[in-house]
Amino acid sequence: MKRHLTVAIATGLTVALGVSGCGKGSSSDDGGSDGKSIKFVAAIYDSNAEPYWKALIKDFEAKNSGYKVQLEMVDWTQMDAKVKTYIQTKQAPDLLNYNSFSDFARDGLIYKASEVVSPTTLSDFTPTFVEQSKYNGDQYALPFISSARLLFYNKDLFAKAKIANPPKTWDEVKTDAEKIQKEGGATGYGLPLGPEESQAEFYSWAMNNGGGWVDASGKWAINQPANVETLNFLKGLKDAKLTQPNPETTDRKTVFNQFAQGKIGMAIGGPFTKAGFIDPVNKNLNFGVTSLPSKSGTEHNTLGVMDLLAAFKKNDGKNKEALKKFLDFLYQKENTSTFLKKEGFLPVTKSAGDALSSDPYMKQFVDALPSSKFAPTSNPAWSAVAGAVKQSLGSSVANKDPKKVLDDIQKTAEKSG
Amino acid sequence: MQDLETRARDAGATARPSRPSALRRAGRALTPLVWLGPSLVLITVVVLWPVVEMVRTSFQKISSSGVTLGGNGTTNYTDLFDEDDLIPVVLRTLGWVAGIVITTMVLSLAIGQLLNSRFPGRRIVRWTVIVPWAASVLMTSLIWKWMLDNYSGLVNRVLLDLHLIDEPVNWLAHPWQAMLWMMWVAVFVSLPFASFVILAGLQTIPEDVYEAARVDGAGPLRTYFGITLPLLRPSIMIASIINVINVFNSFPIIWAMTGGGPGHSTDTTTTFMYKLAFYDQNVGESGAMAVVNFVLILAMVLMYLRAARWREEVR
Repeated sequence: MKRHLTVAIATGLTVALGVSGCGKGSSSDDGGSDGKSIKFVAAIYDSNAEPYWKALIKDFEAKNSGYKVQLEMVDWTQMDAKVKTYIQTKQAPDLLNYNSFSDFARDGLIYKASEVVSPTTLSDFTPTFVEQSKYNGDQYALPFISSARLLFYNKDLFAKAKIANPPKTWDEVKTDAEKIQKEGGATGYGLPLGPEESQAEFYSWAMNNGGGWVDASGKWAINQPANVETLNFLKGLKDAKLTQPNPETTDRKTVFNQFAQGKIGMAIGGPFTKAGFIDPVNKNLNFGVTSLPSKSGTEHNTLGVMDLLAAFKKNDGKNKEALKKFLDFLYQKENTSTFLKKEGFLPVTKSAGDALSSDPYMKQFVDALPSSKFAPTSNPAWSAVAGAVKQSLGSSVANKDPKKVLDDIQKTAEKSG
Repeated sequence: MQDLETRARDAGATARPSRPSALRRAGRALTPLVWLGPSLVLITVVVLWPVVEMVRTSFQKISSSGVTLGGNGTTNYTDLFDEDDLIPVVLRTLGWVAGIVITTMVLSLAIGQLLNSRFPGRRIVRWTVIVPWAASVLMTSLIWKWMLDNYSGLVNRVLLDLHLIDEPVNWLAHPWQAMLWMMWVAVFVSLPFASFVILAGLQTIPEDVYEAARVDGAGPLRTYFGITLPLLRPSIMIASIINVINVFNSFPIIWAMTGGGPGHSTDTTTTFMYKLAFYDQNVGESGAMAVVNFVLILAMVLMYLRAARWREEVR
C-alpha cells in the first residue's frame, strides 16, 4: 500500500513539475543578462541562408572572444506567426531579420539605428533605403537586402509570335499576349494574384498607371480611380483568357515553373527568380528582362522591396554592446556581399553595390533600383493592409467587382490607422 | 477503477483497528486526491487555463506587433460581428461539419461491419484502414493538393484519359469543388478512427442475441436495424462526437489545400480565426472568434447529446 502511495505521489509531482517546467523552459535562453550573448532570429530565404549565418557567427565569435550569438532560423511562411508569439510572450529575440518594423518602433520595442551600429556603418546605407527605414523621422530599421521587379519574357516565344521588342505599354502587353497565345501556343501573361504576394504584383502594375497605396499627403488611397483601372485591366487580361486559369489561386512559384517550361510568355519577377525558379527547372531557357510596362509607355517605375534587421530593447539596454559588435561585423563589405550573391538579392549599402554590378543579369536590377517605389512599410498599419490585400485582391479577377474589392481594402486600411 | 476503490477500502479497513485520529481521518478523506491529483492538474493546466487565457485575450486590445495595450471592452466582438464574411463562414463551417460527420459515420458503419466479418487477409485489410490515420494530416492534404493540381495533377490526368473532361480542371480554385474535395479528404482521414470505434462496438455485441434473433426468424436487414444498430449506439455517439470536434477544429486540410481562398470562400471558423490574427493583424478579434468557435462547439455537442438522449446511455 505504502509503495503504491509513494508511486502515486511521485507521478503526481513529476506531472506537476513537468508542466510548470514547460512554462519556464523557454525563458531560460533569454540571451543572458551579461550583455555578451544575443539571440538572432533569421529568415530562411533558401537553403543557403543557414550555412551562411553559421559560418558568419563562427567567424564573429572567433574574432570577439566572450561574445555569443544564438541563431534561430525561421521559414518565411511561419515568420509572422512566430514574431507575434515572441512579442506577446515577451520573448523577443535581440535581433530579428524581418520585412516590417514600424509597429515595433511605434510600440517602443526596438532601438534606433544610431544606437546599435557605428556611424561608419550608418553612413554606408543607400539613402533610398534609409528613407524606408524611418518611423516618425528617425531611422529604426537596418536595411538588410533589397530586391526589384522587372518583366521577364521568353525570347523564343516572342520570335515565334514575330514580336520584335518586348512591350513598353499596356496595350502592347495585351496585343503581344494575344500573339503569343495564337502563334506560340502558350499563355500570354502569367498573373500570380494568389494570397502569397498579390500586393507586389498589383502594385507593380498600379504604380505604372500613376496609382499606389497612398496619396500625395500619405493618406490611404487604395480605391483611387487609377487603381481601379489597373485592376480592371488585369481582370480584362484574364477574361480574354490571356493569363493562366485562376490567377486568384496562383502563386509566383507556379507561374515561373510554367515560364521556365516555356509555357508562359511574360511574367514579373525579381533578381532571385533566375537562381530560385528558372534554373532548377530549365537552365537553357532563352529569356530576357525588361522594365515594367506602363499605361502610357513613357515612365517606367519598378517595385522595390527591402528586408531589414530590427534590434530589440532588452535588459535595460545591456544587449546594445553585443548588438553593435555583431552588426558592425555583419555590415562589413565582404560579409554582406557574400550573402547577396548567394541569395540573389540587391545591396542596401554603397560598399556592396559595386561588388554586384559585374554580373550582367544582376546589373539590370541594380540599375532599376533608383526608379523604384516601395510599399508604405513605415506606416504601422501597412501589415494589416497587406494582409487584407493578400486575402481578397485575387477575388477581383474571379467573381467580385474590382471597385468593391478595393473599397473594402480601403475600409480596412482606414480602420487600422 | 473499481479495483482501486476496493483496494483503498481494504486499506482503510486494515487501518481502522489502530486509533483513528483526526489527522488520519483527514488523510483518508484526502486519499482520493492522490489519484485524482495528476489528472486534475493536467486538466487545469492544459484545458482550463488556455480557456481562461482565450477569453481574456478576446477582451484585450493587442497591437499589431503583439504588445498588449490594455482592455478593449467588447470592441473585438462588435468588430467581429461587423465582418461581412462572418455569417457565410459560420454557415459553411456547419455544412462542413455535418457533411463530413454524416458521410464518415455511414461509411464507417459499413467498414466496421466488413472488418468484423471473417475473411482471408482480414488482418491486412485492418492494417490498411489504419494507414490514413497514421499518416500526418498535413501530408495527406498536401498529397491531395498535388493530385488535384491544374497542371500536373493525377486526378486531371486520369479524368482526361477517360475522356470524362475535355481540359484540365483547376479543382481547388472553384469554391464549391474545392469544398467537396476537402470534405472528401477530411472523410478520408476521419474514417480509420470511426471505423475502429464501430468495430470495437460490434465486438461487444454478444453472439447469443443474434442467435435468439435467428431462432425468432429475423432476416439480415431486420437483425441489423433491430439489434446491431441499437446496440451500437454508444459507439456511434462517441465516434461522431469526437469526429464533430475534430472536424470543426480542422485547420491543416483547408490551410494546406486552399488557404481558405479565393478570398474567404472556403474558410471555416478555424482558418478565418487564423487570418484575423495573422493577415488582419488583429489578435483581439481573433480571440473573440475563438470564443465564438468554442461556444459553437459546446452548443453543438450539447445539442447532439440531447438529441441522442445521452442520459439513457449513461444509465
